[in-house]
Amino acid sequence: GGNMAPEKSATVPQFLRGAELVKQGAEARVYRTQFLGRPTIVKERFSKRYRHVALDEKLTRRRTVQEVRSILRCRRAGIPAPAVYFVDYTSHCIFLEEILRSSTVRDHIASTQQSASCTVQELDRDQDRELVQEQELEQLAQQVGQILAKMHDEDVIHGDLTTSNMLLRRSPEDRGSDLVLIDFGLSYISALPEDKGVDLYVLEKAFLSTHPHTEALFQKLLKSYSASSKKSSAVLKKLDEVRLRGRKRSMVG
Amino acid sequence: MNLTQELELFPDHTVTQMLFKEVKNAAELRQSAVDGRINGALINPTMLVNPFQVLVAANKAVHLQLIGKMKTRSLNSEIIFNLSPTNNISEAFKRFGTSDGDESVMLVVVHCKNESQLLEDIAAQVDGRQVPVEDVSWLSDLAKIRKLFKVAPQEETCGTLLDAVVCRMAIKDVM
Ligand SMILES: Nc1ncnc2c1ncn2[C@@H]1O[C@H](COP(=O)(O)O)[C@@H](O)[C@H]1O
Repeated sequence: GGNMAPEKSATVPQFLRGAELVKQGAEARVYRTQFLGRPTIVKERFSKRYRHVALDEKLTRRRTVQEVRSILRCRRAGIPAPAVYFVDYTSHCIFLEEILRSSTVRDHIASTQQSASCTVQELDRDQDRELVQEQELEQLAQQVGQILAKMHDEDVIHGDLTTSNMLLRRSPEDRGSDLVLIDFGLSYISALPEDKGVDLYVLEKAFLSTHPHTEALFQKLLKSYSASSKKSSAVLKKLDEVRLRGRKRSMVG
Repeated sequence: MNLTQELELFPDHTVTQMLFKEVKNAAELRQSAVDGRINGALINPTMLVNPFQVLVAANKAVHLQLIGKMKTRSLNSEIIFNLSPTNNISEAFKRFGTSDGDESVMLVVVHCKNESQLLEDIAAQVDGRQVPVEDVSWLSDLAKIRKLFKVAPQEETCGTLLDAVVCRMAIKDVM
Protein backbone atom coordinates (compact mmCIF):
# COMPACT_ATOMS: atom_id res chain seq x y z
CA GLY A 1 0.00 0.00 0.00
CA GLY A 2 0.96 3.66 0.45
CA ASN A 3 3.46 4.99 -2.04
CA MET A 4 5.23 1.70 -2.64
CA ALA A 5 5.21 0.31 -6.14
CA PRO A 6 2.22 -1.97 -6.71
CA GLU A 7 3.04 -5.57 -6.09
CA LYS A 8 2.89 -8.15 -8.79
CA SER A 9 0.09 -10.44 -7.77
CA ALA A 10 0.98 -14.12 -7.68
CA THR A 11 -2.55 -15.25 -6.95
CA VAL A 12 -3.71 -15.54 -10.56
CA PRO A 13 -0.71 -17.55 -11.88
CA GLN A 14 -1.03 -19.78 -8.83
CA PHE A 15 -4.74 -20.31 -9.55
CA LEU A 16 -3.98 -21.15 -13.19
CA ARG A 17 -1.73 -24.03 -12.15
CA GLY A 18 -4.90 -25.88 -11.23
CA ALA A 19 -6.73 -24.98 -14.46
CA GLU A 20 -6.96 -27.00 -17.67
CA LEU A 21 -4.44 -25.84 -20.29
CA VAL A 22 -6.19 -25.56 -23.68
CA LYS A 23 -3.41 -24.09 -25.76
CA GLN A 24 0.24 -23.23 -25.34
CA GLY A 25 1.11 -20.50 -27.81
CA ALA A 26 4.25 -18.48 -28.49
CA GLU A 27 2.99 -15.44 -26.59
CA ALA A 28 0.11 -16.70 -24.52
CA ARG A 29 -1.38 -19.70 -22.77
CA VAL A 30 -5.12 -20.36 -22.87
CA TYR A 31 -6.85 -22.13 -19.97
CA ARG A 32 -10.35 -23.38 -19.29
CA THR A 33 -11.73 -23.02 -15.76
CA GLN A 34 -14.59 -21.95 -13.51
CA PHE A 35 -14.63 -18.31 -12.43
CA LEU A 36 -17.31 -16.84 -10.15
CA GLY A 37 -19.18 -20.04 -10.86
CA ARG A 38 -19.11 -19.69 -14.64
CA PRO A 39 -17.28 -21.57 -17.42
CA THR A 40 -14.41 -19.25 -18.26
CA ILE A 41 -11.44 -19.03 -20.62
CA VAL A 42 -8.29 -17.38 -19.27
CA LYS A 43 -5.70 -15.99 -21.61
CA GLU A 44 -2.32 -15.43 -19.99
CA ARG A 45 0.32 -13.47 -21.87
CA PHE A 46 3.87 -14.16 -20.81
CA SER A 47 7.20 -12.42 -21.25
CA LYS A 48 9.54 -12.98 -24.12
CA ARG A 49 12.82 -13.63 -22.40
CA TYR A 50 14.94 -11.99 -25.07
CA ARG A 51 13.18 -8.65 -24.80
CA HIS A 52 14.14 -5.90 -22.42
CA VAL A 53 12.15 -6.32 -19.21
CA ALA A 54 10.57 -2.85 -19.00
CA LEU A 55 9.85 -2.71 -22.72
CA ASP A 56 8.40 -6.19 -22.58
CA GLU A 57 6.11 -5.26 -19.69
CA LYS A 58 4.88 -2.28 -21.69
CA LEU A 59 4.24 -4.26 -24.89
CA THR A 60 2.47 -7.08 -23.08
CA ARG A 61 0.27 -4.62 -21.22
CA ARG A 62 -0.54 -2.80 -24.45
CA ARG A 63 -1.63 -6.04 -26.13
CA THR A 64 -3.85 -6.88 -23.20
CA VAL A 65 -5.44 -3.43 -23.30
CA GLN A 66 -5.88 -3.58 -27.09
CA GLU A 67 -7.53 -6.96 -26.84
CA VAL A 68 -10.20 -5.91 -24.32
CA ARG A 69 -10.84 -2.58 -26.05
CA SER A 70 -11.41 -4.26 -29.42
CA ILE A 71 -13.73 -6.82 -27.85
CA LEU A 72 -15.90 -4.06 -26.40
CA ARG A 73 -15.85 -2.11 -29.66
CA CYS A 74 -17.04 -5.17 -31.57
CA ARG A 75 -19.73 -6.05 -29.06
CA ARG A 76 -21.05 -2.48 -29.11
CA ALA A 77 -21.50 -2.83 -32.86
CA GLY A 78 -23.36 -6.12 -32.46
CA ILE A 79 -20.42 -8.29 -33.53
CA PRO A 80 -20.24 -11.35 -31.26
CA ALA A 81 -17.04 -11.65 -29.19
CA PRO A 82 -16.62 -13.25 -25.75
CA ALA A 83 -17.63 -11.07 -22.79
CA VAL A 84 -14.78 -9.91 -20.54
CA TYR A 85 -15.20 -10.81 -16.86
CA PHE A 86 -11.92 -9.69 -15.31
CA VAL A 87 -8.49 -8.37 -16.30
CA ASP A 88 -5.33 -8.66 -14.20
CA TYR A 89 -2.80 -6.22 -15.63
CA THR A 90 -0.09 -7.40 -13.24
CA SER A 91 -0.02 -10.96 -14.57
CA HIS A 92 -1.46 -10.02 -18.00
CA CYS A 93 -4.46 -12.31 -17.75
CA ILE A 94 -7.85 -11.81 -19.36
CA PHE A 95 -10.84 -13.77 -18.07
CA LEU A 96 -13.38 -14.32 -20.84
CA GLU A 97 -16.76 -15.93 -21.21
CA GLU A 98 -16.32 -19.46 -22.53
CA ILE A 99 -18.28 -19.81 -25.76
CA LEU A 100 -20.19 -23.01 -25.10
CA ARG A 101 -21.45 -25.41 -27.79
CA SER A 102 -18.88 -24.09 -30.21
CA SER A 103 -16.15 -25.33 -32.50
CA THR A 104 -13.59 -23.40 -34.51
CA VAL A 105 -14.46 -22.60 -38.12
CA ARG A 106 -11.24 -24.42 -38.95
CA ASP A 107 -12.45 -27.70 -37.43
CA HIS A 108 -15.87 -27.26 -38.94
CA ILE A 109 -14.56 -26.80 -42.48
CA ALA A 110 -12.07 -29.63 -42.10
CA SER A 111 -14.65 -32.12 -40.87
CA THR A 112 -17.19 -31.10 -43.51
CA GLN A 113 -14.60 -31.51 -46.25
CA GLN A 114 -13.51 -34.85 -44.87
CA SER A 115 -16.98 -36.32 -44.67
CA ALA A 116 -17.65 -35.13 -48.22
CA SER A 117 -14.57 -36.82 -49.67
CA CYS A 118 -14.59 -40.19 -47.90
CA THR A 119 -17.82 -41.41 -49.46
CA VAL A 120 -17.59 -44.17 -52.05
CA GLN A 121 -20.79 -46.17 -51.95
CA GLU A 122 -24.27 -45.10 -52.93
CA LEU A 123 -23.14 -42.50 -55.37
CA ASP A 124 -26.46 -40.73 -55.91
CA ARG A 125 -27.16 -40.08 -52.29
CA ASP A 126 -23.57 -39.06 -51.73
CA GLN A 127 -23.74 -36.54 -54.50
CA ASP A 128 -26.77 -35.04 -52.83
CA ARG A 129 -24.96 -34.92 -49.55
CA GLU A 130 -21.93 -33.35 -51.12
CA LEU A 131 -24.13 -30.67 -52.60
CA VAL A 132 -25.74 -29.94 -49.24
CA GLN A 133 -22.35 -29.71 -47.60
CA GLU A 134 -21.06 -27.44 -50.31
CA GLN A 135 -24.02 -25.14 -49.83
CA GLU A 136 -23.51 -25.18 -46.10
CA LEU A 137 -19.88 -24.15 -46.45
CA GLU A 138 -20.83 -21.40 -48.87
CA GLN A 139 -23.30 -20.08 -46.36
CA LEU A 140 -20.60 -20.12 -43.70
CA ALA A 141 -18.20 -18.26 -46.01
CA GLN A 142 -20.89 -15.65 -46.56
CA GLN A 143 -21.41 -15.31 -42.83
CA VAL A 144 -17.67 -14.77 -42.33
CA GLY A 145 -17.58 -12.16 -45.08
CA GLN A 146 -20.46 -10.29 -43.48
CA ILE A 147 -19.01 -10.24 -40.00
CA LEU A 148 -15.59 -9.08 -41.23
CA ALA A 149 -17.24 -6.31 -43.25
CA LYS A 150 -19.05 -5.16 -40.14
CA MET A 151 -15.84 -5.29 -38.11
CA HIS A 152 -13.89 -3.29 -40.69
CA ASP A 153 -16.69 -0.76 -40.94
CA GLU A 154 -16.10 -0.20 -37.21
CA ASP A 155 -12.40 0.33 -38.04
CA VAL A 156 -11.33 -2.68 -36.01
CA ILE A 157 -8.37 -4.48 -37.60
CA HIS A 158 -8.15 -7.97 -36.14
CA GLY A 159 -4.48 -8.48 -36.94
CA ASP A 160 -4.51 -12.28 -36.85
CA LEU A 161 -7.46 -13.53 -38.88
CA THR A 162 -7.46 -17.31 -39.25
CA THR A 163 -10.24 -19.88 -39.24
CA SER A 164 -9.04 -20.88 -35.75
CA ASN A 165 -9.90 -17.43 -34.45
CA MET A 166 -13.54 -17.74 -35.41
CA LEU A 167 -15.89 -19.90 -33.40
CA LEU A 168 -19.12 -21.34 -34.73
CA ARG A 169 -21.68 -21.37 -31.93
CA ARG A 170 -24.77 -23.52 -32.22
CA SER A 171 -27.85 -21.76 -30.89
CA PRO A 172 -29.60 -23.55 -28.00
CA GLU A 173 -32.80 -24.27 -29.94
CA ASP A 174 -30.74 -25.52 -32.87
CA ARG A 175 -31.78 -22.58 -35.01
CA GLY A 176 -28.59 -22.27 -37.04
CA SER A 177 -25.26 -21.01 -35.76
CA ASP A 178 -23.62 -17.69 -35.23
CA LEU A 179 -20.00 -16.68 -35.55
CA VAL A 180 -17.95 -15.41 -32.64
CA LEU A 181 -14.63 -13.68 -33.21
CA ILE A 182 -11.83 -14.37 -30.72
CA ASP A 183 -8.17 -13.57 -30.08
CA PHE A 184 -7.90 -9.79 -30.57
CA GLY A 185 -4.37 -9.70 -29.15
CA LEU A 186 -2.90 -8.17 -32.31
CA SER A 187 -5.84 -5.93 -33.07
CA TYR A 188 -5.85 -2.17 -33.46
CA ILE A 189 -8.07 0.65 -34.68
CA SER A 190 -7.55 2.02 -38.19
CA ALA A 191 -9.69 3.46 -40.95
CA LEU A 192 -7.05 2.87 -43.65
CA PRO A 193 -8.12 0.59 -46.54
CA GLU A 194 -4.53 -0.66 -46.64
CA ASP A 195 -4.77 -2.03 -43.09
CA LYS A 196 -8.08 -3.71 -43.85
CA GLY A 197 -6.67 -5.14 -47.08
CA VAL A 198 -3.72 -6.63 -45.22
CA ASP A 199 -6.14 -8.06 -42.63
CA LEU A 200 -7.96 -9.90 -45.44
CA TYR A 201 -4.68 -10.95 -47.05
CA VAL A 202 -3.56 -12.59 -43.79
CA LEU A 203 -6.86 -14.48 -43.72
CA GLU A 204 -6.57 -15.50 -47.38
CA LYS A 205 -3.09 -16.93 -46.82
CA ALA A 206 -4.19 -18.80 -43.71
CA PHE A 207 -7.46 -19.96 -45.25
CA LEU A 208 -6.02 -21.38 -48.46
CA SER A 209 -3.10 -23.08 -46.73
CA THR A 210 -5.27 -24.61 -43.99
CA HIS A 211 -8.10 -25.72 -46.27
CA PRO A 212 -7.01 -27.16 -49.62
CA HIS A 213 -9.15 -26.55 -52.72
CA THR A 214 -11.10 -23.68 -51.23
CA GLU A 215 -10.25 -20.93 -53.73
CA ALA A 216 -13.86 -20.72 -54.89
CA LEU A 217 -15.11 -20.75 -51.32
CA PHE A 218 -12.81 -17.87 -50.39
CA GLN A 219 -14.07 -15.92 -53.40
CA LYS A 220 -17.58 -16.34 -52.00
CA LEU A 221 -16.33 -14.91 -48.71
CA LEU A 222 -14.87 -11.86 -50.46
CA LYS A 223 -18.01 -11.36 -52.49
CA SER A 224 -20.09 -11.31 -49.37
CA TYR A 225 -17.61 -8.93 -47.71
CA SER A 226 -17.87 -6.68 -50.69
CA ALA A 227 -21.68 -6.71 -50.64
CA SER A 228 -21.84 -6.01 -46.89
CA SER A 229 -19.22 -3.30 -46.40
CA LYS A 230 -19.80 0.33 -47.28
CA LYS A 231 -16.12 0.88 -48.02
CA SER A 232 -15.20 -2.45 -49.61
CA SER A 233 -14.01 -1.33 -53.05
CA ALA A 234 -10.98 0.56 -51.69
CA VAL A 235 -10.18 -2.35 -49.39
CA LEU A 236 -10.37 -4.98 -52.12
CA LYS A 237 -8.20 -2.83 -54.36
CA LYS A 238 -5.61 -2.75 -51.60
CA LEU A 239 -5.96 -6.51 -51.21
CA ASP A 240 -5.04 -6.89 -54.88
CA GLU A 241 -1.99 -4.67 -54.42
CA VAL A 242 -0.87 -6.56 -51.34
CA ARG A 243 -1.24 -9.89 -53.16
CA LEU A 244 0.91 -8.58 -55.99
CA ARG A 245 3.58 -7.39 -53.58
CA GLY A 246 3.46 -10.77 -51.86
CA ARG A 247 3.97 -12.57 -55.17
CA LYS A 248 6.86 -10.33 -56.21
CA ARG A 249 8.54 -10.86 -52.86
CA SER A 250 8.23 -14.62 -53.17
CA MET A 251 9.67 -14.53 -56.72
CA VAL A 252 12.72 -12.66 -55.48
CA GLY A 253 12.97 -15.28 -52.74
CA MET B 1 -32.07 -17.11 0.62
CA ASN B 2 -28.47 -15.91 0.81
CA LEU B 3 -26.29 -16.34 -2.23
CA THR B 4 -22.78 -17.40 -1.32
CA GLN B 5 -19.87 -17.78 -3.74
CA GLU B 6 -16.23 -18.42 -2.95
CA LEU B 7 -13.84 -16.26 -4.97
CA GLU B 8 -11.83 -18.92 -6.83
CA LEU B 9 -8.82 -16.62 -7.21
CA PHE B 10 -8.81 -15.73 -3.52
CA PRO B 11 -9.91 -18.85 -1.62
CA ASP B 12 -9.79 -17.00 1.73
CA HIS B 13 -12.55 -14.73 0.48
CA THR B 14 -16.21 -15.66 0.16
CA VAL B 15 -18.95 -13.29 -0.99
CA THR B 16 -22.46 -13.46 0.42
CA GLN B 17 -25.35 -11.46 -0.98
CA MET B 18 -28.61 -10.85 0.87
CA LEU B 19 -31.59 -9.07 -0.63
CA PHE B 20 -34.15 -7.16 1.46
CA LYS B 21 -37.45 -5.57 0.49
CA GLU B 22 -39.75 -3.26 2.43
CA VAL B 23 -36.72 -1.82 4.20
CA LYS B 24 -37.59 0.84 6.80
CA ASN B 25 -34.16 1.86 8.09
CA ALA B 26 -32.07 2.53 4.98
CA ALA B 27 -30.71 5.84 6.35
CA GLU B 28 -29.66 4.22 9.61
CA LEU B 29 -28.03 1.30 7.76
CA ARG B 30 -26.08 3.65 5.55
CA GLN B 31 -24.83 5.56 8.59
CA SER B 32 -23.79 2.29 10.23
CA ALA B 33 -21.82 1.34 7.15
CA VAL B 34 -20.11 4.76 7.08
CA ASP B 35 -19.24 4.42 10.78
CA GLY B 36 -17.92 0.90 10.27
CA ARG B 37 -20.60 -0.78 12.40
CA ILE B 38 -21.70 -2.77 9.37
CA ASN B 39 -18.85 -4.49 7.59
CA GLY B 40 -20.61 -4.83 4.26
CA ALA B 41 -21.54 -2.97 1.10
CA LEU B 42 -25.10 -1.62 0.83
CA ILE B 43 -26.20 -1.60 -2.78
CA ASN B 44 -29.18 -0.23 -4.63
CA PRO B 45 -30.61 -3.39 -6.24
CA THR B 46 -32.50 -1.51 -8.96
CA MET B 47 -29.15 -0.99 -10.70
CA LEU B 48 -28.41 -4.72 -10.79
CA VAL B 49 -29.40 -7.03 -13.65
CA ASN B 50 -28.11 -10.13 -11.90
CA PRO B 51 -26.13 -11.10 -8.76
CA PHE B 52 -23.17 -11.98 -11.02
CA GLN B 53 -22.53 -8.23 -11.37
CA VAL B 54 -21.79 -8.05 -7.65
CA LEU B 55 -19.42 -11.01 -7.84
CA VAL B 56 -17.45 -9.34 -10.63
CA ALA B 57 -17.24 -6.13 -8.58
CA ALA B 58 -16.21 -7.97 -5.40
CA ASN B 59 -13.55 -10.06 -7.14
CA LYS B 60 -12.00 -6.94 -8.66
CA ALA B 61 -12.13 -5.14 -5.30
CA VAL B 62 -10.29 -7.95 -3.49
CA HIS B 63 -7.72 -8.12 -6.30
CA LEU B 64 -7.05 -4.37 -6.19
CA GLN B 65 -6.85 -4.42 -2.40
CA LEU B 66 -4.20 -7.15 -2.50
CA ILE B 67 -2.03 -5.28 -5.02
CA GLY B 68 -2.56 -1.94 -3.25
CA LYS B 69 -4.40 -0.26 -6.12
CA MET B 70 -7.86 0.48 -4.77
CA LYS B 71 -9.40 3.78 -5.88
CA THR B 72 -11.43 4.18 -2.68
CA ARG B 73 -10.70 3.80 1.04
CA SER B 74 -12.27 0.46 1.86
CA LEU B 75 -13.10 -2.87 0.29
CA ASN B 76 -16.83 -2.23 0.64
CA SER B 77 -16.73 1.16 -1.05
CA GLU B 78 -14.50 -0.32 -3.76
CA ILE B 79 -17.21 -2.91 -4.51
CA ILE B 80 -19.73 -0.09 -5.04
CA PHE B 81 -17.25 1.90 -7.15
CA ASN B 82 -16.55 -1.17 -9.33
CA LEU B 83 -20.25 -1.54 -10.17
CA SER B 84 -20.24 1.80 -11.96
CA PRO B 85 -19.27 2.25 -15.63
CA THR B 86 -17.40 5.52 -14.94
CA ASN B 87 -14.43 6.51 -12.81
CA ASN B 88 -16.41 9.14 -10.91
CA ILE B 89 -16.51 8.01 -7.28
CA SER B 90 -19.33 10.22 -5.99
CA GLU B 91 -21.52 9.33 -8.95
CA ALA B 92 -20.88 5.64 -8.30
CA PHE B 93 -22.08 6.01 -4.70
CA LYS B 94 -25.11 8.01 -5.72
CA ARG B 95 -26.27 5.47 -8.28
CA PHE B 96 -25.10 2.13 -6.93
CA GLY B 97 -24.99 2.71 -3.18
CA THR B 98 -28.02 2.71 -0.90
CA SER B 99 -29.72 6.11 -0.55
CA ASP B 100 -31.59 7.18 2.57
CA GLY B 101 -35.12 6.57 1.34
CA ASP B 102 -34.52 3.22 -0.39
CA GLU B 103 -37.03 0.45 0.20
CA SER B 104 -34.86 -2.35 -1.13
CA VAL B 105 -31.25 -3.11 -0.26
CA MET B 106 -28.70 -5.66 -1.46
CA LEU B 107 -26.31 -6.35 1.39
CA VAL B 108 -22.93 -7.70 0.28
CA VAL B 109 -20.44 -9.17 2.74
CA VAL B 110 -16.94 -10.42 1.98
CA HIS B 111 -15.92 -12.89 4.68
CA CYS B 112 -14.00 -16.06 5.46
CA LYS B 113 -15.59 -19.46 5.03
CA ASN B 114 -18.16 -20.59 7.63
CA GLU B 115 -18.96 -17.29 9.26
CA SER B 116 -22.71 -17.78 9.58
CA GLN B 117 -22.89 -15.97 12.93
CA LEU B 118 -21.28 -12.87 11.44
CA LEU B 119 -23.74 -12.91 8.55
CA GLU B 120 -26.70 -13.32 10.91
CA ASP B 121 -25.52 -10.41 13.03
CA ILE B 122 -25.22 -8.13 10.02
CA ALA B 123 -28.57 -9.21 8.58
CA ALA B 124 -30.25 -8.61 11.95
CA GLN B 125 -29.54 -4.90 11.61
CA VAL B 126 -31.85 -4.62 8.61
CA ASP B 127 -35.46 -3.75 9.35
CA GLY B 128 -36.99 -5.37 6.27
CA ARG B 129 -38.12 -8.61 4.66
CA GLN B 130 -35.41 -10.88 3.24
CA VAL B 131 -36.19 -12.42 -0.16
CA PRO B 132 -34.17 -14.75 -2.42
CA VAL B 133 -31.23 -12.95 -4.05
CA GLU B 134 -32.38 -14.16 -7.48
CA ASP B 135 -35.46 -11.95 -7.08
CA VAL B 136 -33.20 -8.99 -7.81
CA SER B 137 -34.18 -9.32 -11.47
CA TRP B 138 -37.73 -8.23 -10.53
CA LEU B 139 -36.34 -5.00 -9.10
CA SER B 140 -33.94 -4.11 -11.96
CA ASP B 141 -34.59 -0.78 -13.65
CA LEU B 142 -33.55 -1.98 -17.10
CA ALA B 143 -34.17 1.33 -18.88
CA LYS B 144 -31.98 3.18 -16.41
CA ILE B 145 -29.24 0.54 -16.60
CA ARG B 146 -29.22 0.60 -20.42
CA LYS B 147 -28.95 4.38 -20.37
CA LEU B 148 -26.23 4.63 -17.74
CA PHE B 149 -24.11 1.89 -19.35
CA LYS B 150 -24.87 3.20 -22.85
CA VAL B 151 -26.04 -0.16 -24.20
CA ALA B 152 -27.54 0.15 -27.69
CA PRO B 153 -30.08 -2.45 -28.92
CA GLN B 154 -27.61 -3.93 -31.43
CA GLU B 155 -25.30 -4.99 -28.58
CA GLU B 156 -28.08 -7.06 -27.08
CA THR B 157 -28.40 -8.98 -30.34
CA CYS B 158 -25.01 -10.60 -29.72
CA GLY B 159 -25.17 -11.00 -25.95
CA THR B 160 -27.17 -10.30 -22.83
CA LEU B 161 -27.52 -6.97 -21.04
CA LEU B 162 -25.62 -8.59 -18.17
CA ASP B 163 -22.67 -9.31 -20.51
CA ALA B 164 -22.73 -5.70 -21.70
CA VAL B 165 -22.69 -4.37 -18.15
CA VAL B 166 -20.01 -6.73 -16.88
CA CYS B 167 -17.69 -5.98 -19.84
CA ARG B 168 -17.81 -2.27 -19.10
CA MET B 169 -17.16 -2.85 -15.41
CA ALA B 170 -14.21 -5.11 -16.13
CA ILE B 171 -12.40 -2.75 -18.48
CA LYS B 172 -13.44 0.75 -17.44
CA ASP B 173 -9.89 1.51 -16.21
CA VAL B 174 -8.55 1.41 -19.77
CA MET B 175 -11.39 3.10 -21.62
N1 LIG C 1 -13.91 -17.53 -25.40
C1 LIG C 1 -13.67 -18.78 -25.83
N2 LIG C 1 -14.62 -19.73 -25.75
C2 LIG C 1 -14.38 -20.99 -26.16
N3 LIG C 1 -13.22 -21.42 -26.64
C3 LIG C 1 -12.23 -20.53 -26.74
C4 LIG C 1 -12.39 -19.16 -26.35
N4 LIG C 1 -11.23 -18.52 -26.55
C5 LIG C 1 -10.39 -19.43 -27.03
N5 LIG C 1 -10.98 -20.65 -27.17
C6 LIG C 1 -10.36 -21.89 -27.65
O1 LIG C 1 -8.96 -21.84 -27.41
C7 LIG C 1 -8.23 -21.84 -28.63
C8 LIG C 1 -7.07 -20.88 -28.56
O2 LIG C 1 -7.52 -19.57 -28.28
P1 LIG C 1 -6.78 -18.29 -28.89
O3 LIG C 1 -5.34 -18.37 -28.51
O4 LIG C 1 -7.48 -17.10 -28.27
O5 LIG C 1 -6.97 -18.36 -30.38
C9 LIG C 1 -9.23 -21.48 -29.69
O6 LIG C 1 -8.93 -22.00 -30.95
C10 LIG C 1 -10.53 -22.04 -29.15
O7 LIG C 1 -10.65 -23.40 -29.45
